[in-house]
Amino acid sequence: MAKHETPLLDELEKGPWPSFVTDIKRQAEKNPDCWDILGQVELSYKEKITHWKHGGIVGVFGYGGGIVGRYSDLPKRFPGVEHFHTVRLNQPASKYYSTEHLRAICDKWEKYGSGMTNMHGSTGDLVLLGCRTEALEPLFYELTHEIQQDLGGSGSNLRTPANCLGQSRCEWACYDTEETCHHLTMHYQDEIHRPAFPYKFKFKFSGCPNDCVASIARSDVAVIGTWRDNIRIDQAAVKEYVAGNIPSNGGAHAGRDWGKFDIQKEVIALCPTGCMWMEGGELKIDDAECTRCMHCLNVMPRALRPGLDQGATICCGAKAPILDGAQFATLIVPFMKVSADNEFEELIEFIEKVWDWWMEVGKNRERVGETMQRVGLPTFIKVMDLEPIPQHIKEPRSNPYVFWQEEEVEGGWSRDVEEFRARHAA
Amino acid sequence: MALSKEELKAAILKKAETAPKPQLYIKDFYACDPDTKPREIKNVANDLVKEGKMMFWSSGSTTMYAMKNRIKNEEGDSGVN
Repeated sequence: MAKHETPLLDELEKGPWPSFVTDIKRQAEKNPDCWDILGQVELSYKEKITHWKHGGIVGVFGYGGGIVGRYSDLPKRFPGVEHFHTVRLNQPASKYYSTEHLRAICDKWEKYGSGMTNMHGSTGDLVLLGCRTEALEPLFYELTHEIQQDLGGSGSNLRTPANCLGQSRCEWACYDTEETCHHLTMHYQDEIHRPAFPYKFKFKFSGCPNDCVASIARSDVAVIGTWRDNIRIDQAAVKEYVAGNIPSNGGAHAGRDWGKFDIQKEVIALCPTGCMWMEGGELKIDDAECTRCMHCLNVMPRALRPGLDQGATICCGAKAPILDGAQFATLIVPFMKVSADNEFEELIEFIEKVWDWWMEVGKNRERVGETMQRVGLPTFIKVMDLEPIPQHIKEPRSNPYVFWQEEEVEGGWSRDVEEFRARHAA
Repeated sequence: MALSKEELKAAILKKAETAPKPQLYIKDFYACDPDTKPREIKNVANDLVKEGKMMFWSSGSTTMYAMKNRIKNEEGDSGVN
């Protein structure tokens, strides 16, 4: 029996898509506190103002993250959501769970919390929504001691690292994203569980430039698999694609009749750098011009594969649009070997160099990308002990980030520009 | 010369007790000892939380430090996480 009238929320159940309203109503049959979620959200829809309050001192002993305090500002009217804290659980690498583990998490969550979950948050955590303060410690104890499930990051901590499926299932993965993510998660337990920085910090690991964890859009340090030799071409398989004997895109778009596969139209003409062509019935690639857009590999996976000299590109400074708008990460290191053989030494050295600089220079609530933008890329490159290279630009020839220092220019800034221009037209 | 760990703890506690605002960012403590690296100051501040002398206050997206007696137990704020 519904505790609150929810005509506005009910509208959200009428479309063709699954509805969170239906989910909450179903859970409310088990846990009546969930009716108050619906009641409060209905009121917010009506009044066009939130009734949630964020933040506070809630947490579990020894940790400075993983719990996000949330309260209702109308606790008498909606007592079921008086406390409605969020619990973030560190997902396993690539989100491989056993159903036994998921059931155990859900059982504990129904015992101590609302039963509502979010699988998964945008950082990657398994998110449990709605817990009272007094239930946090017993929940945490059972999660960690009985099912070995740790919390994830929140606040000014290192956020829970995330990675794609990597080499466990994907032939394009250019390094072992699972091993890397797991190793760094264990290596940086202190930074994940206790605040360390001026603001949140994320790193994410994608095995190839398809970037299935959106690391370039979301993470302060994005580690994206790549190769530095040539794309491997199986010319016999290219011919099979052209003849229509192998479905393009692995058959992913086979639900409609798109007509006969046209390699010119669907692959070569769509190459962003125009570095592909057919010659004598064979596909040719000028690999020096390839920007790793992955389109040709995605369309013809049996004919084209990443090169064999594999590693990762490191980009820095992405963030989601909270204060100043969205920002993609900027390329900093075009190629780095990422290997468990040396315990990811080079990557760890890079990350800690970013941290040491950002902890000192970054303002409160300023992401790494915002600090980079404020001081300029040349300064950041210098701090990272790197030499400027042509790839350190936002867009070719339209927004050069790299500027000369006075001491690097013959005659410094005192040169007579008019005299110079007489000899070198602008 | 950098302060000893105990001297740094005392300086951080003094700052947390006397600052006009009850909640402080980690960067607010850097001035307690300009000769100590930010990462070490963070470690000492976190130790003070472990010892129960200070507490974390988190909005979900940012974490601040406060003396126990200077903030309310149940408190919320608007913001993003």
